[in-house]
Order: sequence, then structure tokens, then C-alpha cells
Amino acid sequence: MVVPSLEPDVRVSGPPPALEPVVGRRGPSRRWRARRHRLAYRFIAPALIFMLVIHVLPTLGGVALSFKNLNTFTFSRLFGAPWNGLENYRAILFDSANPLHDGFVDAARNSLIYTSTTVAGTLTGGLGIALLLNRKMRGIKVVRTLMLLPWIVPSFVVASLWQFMWQSDDGIVNKVLVDYLHLLGHRPVWLIGDNSIWAIVIPSVWRGLPFAMLIFLAGLQAIPAELHEAAAIDGAGAWQRFGRITLPLLKPLIAVQLLFNVIYAMYQYSIPVVMMGTNPGPHADLMMTLIVRQSFTNNLFGFGSAASVLLMLVMLVWVAIWYRGFRKEFEAAPA
Amino acid sequence: MVPRRIAVAPAAIALVVTAAMAVAACGGSSKSDSSSNNAASGPAKQNVTLTMWTMPNSPNPTGDLQKLLEPFTAQTGIKVNVQVVGWDVQLDRIRNAAVSGSGPDVTQAGTTQVPFFAALGGFSDISGKVAQIGGSGGYNPAVWNTTKLSGKNGTWALPWFTEARAVYYRKDVLKKAGLDPATAFKDWDTFRASLKAIKQKVPSVGGKAIEPFGQPGSKAFDLVHDMMPFVWAAGGSELSSDHKTSTINSPQAVEGMKFMTQLIQDGTFDTSQLERDGTQVENQFKGGKLAVWIGGPWVLATVGRKDDDTWSSAARKNVGIAPLPAGPVGKAFTFLGGSDLMVFKSSKHQDADWQLLKYMASDKVQSQYAQLLGMFPAKQSAQTQFGEQDANHQEFLDAVREGRTYAPIAQWAEVENAYKGSFGQILSDAASHGGNVSDATLKSQLDKAAKQADGLLAQSTG
Repeated sequence: MVVPSLEPDVRVSGPPPALEPVVGRRGPSRRWRARRHRLAYRFIAPALIFMLVIHVLPTLGGVALSFKNLNTFTFSRLFGAPWNGLENYRAILFDSANPLHDGFVDAARNSLIYTSTTVAGTLTGGLGIALLLNRKMRGIKVVRTLMLLPWIVPSFVVASLWQFMWQSDDGIVNKVLVDYLHLLGHRPVWLIGDNSIWAIVIPSVWRGLPFAMLIFLAGLQAIPAELHEAAAIDGAGAWQRFGRITLPLLKPLIAVQLLFNVIYAMYQYSIPVVMMGTNPGPHADLMMTLIVRQSFTNNLFGFGSAASVLLMLVMLVWVAIWYRGFRKEFEAAPA
Repeated sequence: MVPRRIAVAPAAIALVVTAAMAVAACGGSSKSDSSSNNAASGPAKQNVTLTMWTMPNSPNPTGDLQKLLEPFTAQTGIKVNVQVVGWDVQLDRIRNAAVSGSGPDVTQAGTTQVPFFAALGGFSDISGKVAQIGGSGGYNPAVWNTTKLSGKNGTWALPWFTEARAVYYRKDVLKKAGLDPATAFKDWDTFRASLKAIKQKVPSVGGKAIEPFGQPGSKAFDLVHDMMPFVWAAGGSELSSDHKTSTINSPQAVEGMKFMTQLIQDGTFDTSQLERDGTQVENQFKGGKLAVWIGGPWVLATVGRKDDDTWSSAARKNVGIAPLPAGPVGKAFTFLGGSDLMVFKSSKHQDADWQLLKYMASDKVQSQYAQLLGMFPAKQSAQTQFGEQDANHQEFLDAVREGRTYAPIAQWAEVENAYKGSFGQILSDAASHGGNVSDATLKSQLDKAAKQADGLLAQSTG
């Protein structure tokens, strides 16, 4: 067997030489480290290429399209369409005479309301339910499994079901509110008009609760019971224990949930479109329904691209804010 | 060295898998078989297979069409590969096929879509061939209008089947309300009065509550088709005669939309229908929850179908059809829709494609297919015998003859979208204010729609 002269500690049998750190007097040799890194890069390369081709290049293409004048007559030329500079952005953001501006302002406002209420509802609801389910009692496993059901239902089905439930004359929601519980005197209209935003928020929260609950439940069960017992002995009440022990220990999970739920909510498309059609109206139109409608029905791909870029920039700002706020949770603990 | 070999294998596998996924994702477009094509396109049998895209028009779309085409294949040797494309994706698919140059040979297209597709430049002009089937004279002028593109001479499609909207009513409900069907929907005033009478005198039938009238809101794809006839009947128009500006905010258009909000104010328009889409409201009429409704001929065709269980027995036995009421101009208008057939420029079998279109345009095939669909044949000669079936079909035929179609501009779908948003908004605002909508509010809503439409019309060719 060939014994490379640079590896004096090679063994006759055992793991292949390259995976064994060759430890000389100054730690693992640089050559070994470089070799190991090269192997890692080779494994990562396909995924990286895939990401570039499927994600990064199309995104750059989309940004390029946002500077072009794309309409019914020019969209088939795609990148060969006439240059429009920042005109698309100016029209969306500042030109109140341009009809695209109104649609954008409404959609942005609705998306902000939708995101904040959905995320708040999902996280507090999920945490609340997790706290309730974090106990040993008979049937708890059954209850936990049942609680997962809304998440398993596809969002298309959720939206279709709730569309029937929200119908003002026959829907079950109004039947319960007005006919059975007598909480309201008249039947509110949910699918059109001012209440339409709640018609999409509530099913979204309903659908998002199980996943949040699951994550928080796992987090709660990782908190040692001794901490609570010790605090209780020292005289801490339930709320104090929640605020001083539970919440801080759950902070990393809350941070992750917050990040993903906000992004998911800002990019929500299927629920409003299935429930209300491609134009959910000025109160329930979200950014994605606006962009898809303007791009694919109206062939205004330049507008769609510009609005998408703006949305992406807002999301980048959000991620930056989030990272500043929660950075400490994710830094490695000092050894 | 061992590490290098280990590294190459997973990388290679990953790349192959990636490539396979990319190919699978990008594939899916159909290409017409380029079988041998005999030079002569006359009576000699050709060994050609055409690919045709169709939408789900009938209960068994592929099977029904293939059966219809059997005599064609037997006669000419041209085989047709029928592919069904859903209405939700057909606009994108046809557009992509037209722009990319790779797609079927022939496709069905909605009448309001033809100008847009024609403007893409991917379809053949058949104006030189239509004389073979009697030319434009064989078709109702409004139907023929759907084959045009404003600003570009040519005939870009051949009409296939036609539909028109008419008033569906419950004969038993009218009788109970003491109304004569011949005059109950004669003009706007009598229409309003009839609905009021129904609301007062016939709140329920056989123990089930029934509302006088209802139409779907902005969730319905054909909201504009339902509302525009009232704008027309008031003397308004969707666009100026040169097709360059929107006239949807004219005083006449305001009057047309006001008629609807007045029905809401009267309490005769069941506003919960605005939350539903077209098919759901159809089923409401069929299920006996609405006394009067405006719809297309395909619902009439289902009356006789025993397997259609959305009909309540009372509704099924008492369906009546009446033309839309005449408006302030003294005339009634109705929306004329349907589908046309278009030939792709990229098709390698232009002659065979035309033969297929010719076959589809023959009277016998027109009647057969329309009967199956519950639509009307596009060809006038076939239409007449179709209307002779019974009184209801005759009423529909009269509606078809009075039909009107939209301006054939490439941006029509977008303009229609803008109008749809506006009409939907007007109706839902009216619903939340008990129908109490001032003329000024209506005008400002329609002004917004007009502004949006003007912006869409002003799109330059760049």
C-alpha cells in the first residue's frame, strides 16, 4: 500500500485517510482542511447551481423586467420590450392619476392588516393552545391529533369551505351568530364589503394555529418542570412564571415562527383567490392577488414585476429588522 | 484519490436529477404530429393528424367531440387529436402557444378573446377561404364581429357556437302573482313592477322561501355580460365608436347601472347572490330559490336531463324564457357570446385545418354540437331550425338575433376586467347601503373604471 509521506499517522485499516483529521503538532494540517472543504464544496455545488438557475437568475430577470414597458402589445418581446426606466415604480408609488396606484395602495394596506392580524392571531392562539395542551391528562394525545387537522387540509379546500360558511343567508357562521346564539340582530355580510378582510383573516388563522401550536408545544415540553417548581416554591405566580421562564425560553421559537409567518402572510394568494375570485374587492385585495391579476389578466407584466420587487424589498427590510431584534437568540453560546 | 471519486458520483447524480426535473417541468406543450402530408388538399384522403384544443363545453368533452369528428375522419382521412384545456388555464396556454410558435393546429377560443389572440400575431387569416362556406353572410353581424380585430383587416376565427342571455322565470310564480309572461318583462318599468309584485304576493313556493331576482357579483366571470345589456338598453356603450376611449361613465351608462341599484333598493334583488359565482347562482334558480334570473341557454338544455339533480321539481316543470326588457331607448339588447375556432399560423397543415373548420361549420354538425352543449349554432341557417324546438328555444333565438358583442380590441379582456371590478363594487356598495346610491356616487365609480380603461386602451405598441 502506498503510504503518502505527508501523513505519518495513517492507519492500515479504518476510515479513509481524508476523513480522519491528520493531527500534527499544530492541529489539523492546512492541506487536510483544504481537501475536506473541497469535498464539501463539491457536495454543495449541485444545490448551489440549482438555486442559481431556478431562483437567483429568474429573480434578476424579474427585476430587469420591472424596468421595461410591458403591455398587451409588447409583452411577447419580453426582454426586448422598450425600456421604461423607473416609470413603473413612479406610477405605482406616486402617480395618483394612474389607476394602478389606487390598486397598489389598497392592496398594500390590506396586506399589512392581513399580515399583522393573522400573525398575531396565529402566534397567540398557537401559544395559548399549546399551554393548554401541555399537560398529562386522559385523551390528551387524541386532542393533540385532532388539533392538527386544520393544518392538514389544503388551503384550496379551506378557502372553498369557508366561502360556503361565510355566505350571508345560508352560511353556518351567520346561522350560529344570528339564529342559534342570537348574538347579532342582523346577518352581517362577510364575502363582500368591509368585512371581507376578516373573511380571509379568520380561515388563515384557523389554518395556521396547528403548526404554531405544534412548535410551541415542543418548546414547552423542553422546559424542565424543575424550573417552574423552583419558581413556584419561591412564590412566583402563574403569570410571573410565564413571563420570566416560559416566554424567554420560547423566544427562539417565537422568532422563527414570526419570521416565516410574516413572509407567508405577505405572499398569501390561494385563500383570497379561491374564496373571492381574482378580484377580491378593495378591502380584501392582497399584494399577490393584485400582482397576478395585473400581470396575467391585464398583461401588465412591467407593473407586476415592479410591484413584486417592491414587495421583496419590504420583506428584506422586515428580515433585517427581525434579525436585529432576534440576533441574540441565534448566536452560538460562548463555549 | 478516493475522495475525488466519491465527490464526483453524488455531484453527477444530483445534476442528472436536477436536469430531469427541469426537463419535466418545462415540457408539456403539445406538438402536432408531422405525419406525411399529401400535396393535394382536395378530395384525396390525407394521412394527417391534427391537434385541436377545446374547452370543457359538454359533459364528456373529449369523447363528445371525437364522436362528432368520426364522419370527418372517415371522409377525409384527417385524424384529430382532441385535447381538453380547462377554462381557468386556457388563456395562458393559448397565449403561450401563440407567442412561442409551438402548440396545437386548431384551438377553440372565447368570442371576447379572439381579438387579443389575433393581436399576438400567431393565428392565420382565413378571410380568403370563408367564401367557400357562404362568407360572412351566413352569420349574424354581431357573431361575425367576433372574428375581427380592430385596426387589422382580416378574419381571424370562424364562429363555432353562440350563446345569448335571456330572462329565466318561474311560470308558476308569475301565475300566482297574477302576471302575464308576455308583458311582465316588456320594459324596465314593468320588469321592476313585476318583481315587486312577486315579492309581495309570492314569498314562498311549496313552503320554501323564494326571492324575486338575483345575479352573481364580481366572483362571476360573466358579470360584465350580465350588466352591459342594461347599459346598452339605456343608450350607453362600453367604448367610443372609434374604440379609443371608454364611455362607461356616460350618463346613459349611469342610468343603466342605476336600474340595478334600484332593484336592490326595491328589495327585489337578493343581495346574498352577489357573494356567489355564476354557477352557484345558476343552481339557486334551478333549486327553486330565485323566481327570475338572467342566464344563458345551457341551463335550458339541462331541464330535460334526468341526471341533473340541481333542479327542484317545481323549477324544472315551470321554466319560462323571456327576452331582456327594453330600455329607455325603446329596444332591448342582450350579450352575445360563445366560442370561435382559430387556426395557428405555426400549424404545418393549414389546408387540413381549414377542412376541419369547414366541417365544423356545416349545418348538420353545427346543430348536433350545439344541441349537445345547450348552446346555439353560430351559423344562421342552423340557428333557425334550432329555435323551432319549442317556445322557450324560440325566445332564445329571438334574443340571439337582437344580440350585441363588444368592440373587437386586443385589450378587451383587460378593459372587461376593469369594468368587472367597477360593476362588482357598485353592486356590493349598493347592497351594503340598501340600494341607496346617489347618481353622483355611481358616476364617480364609473369614472374610475373609465380612467382605468382609458389607460389600458392607451397602451402603445412600443
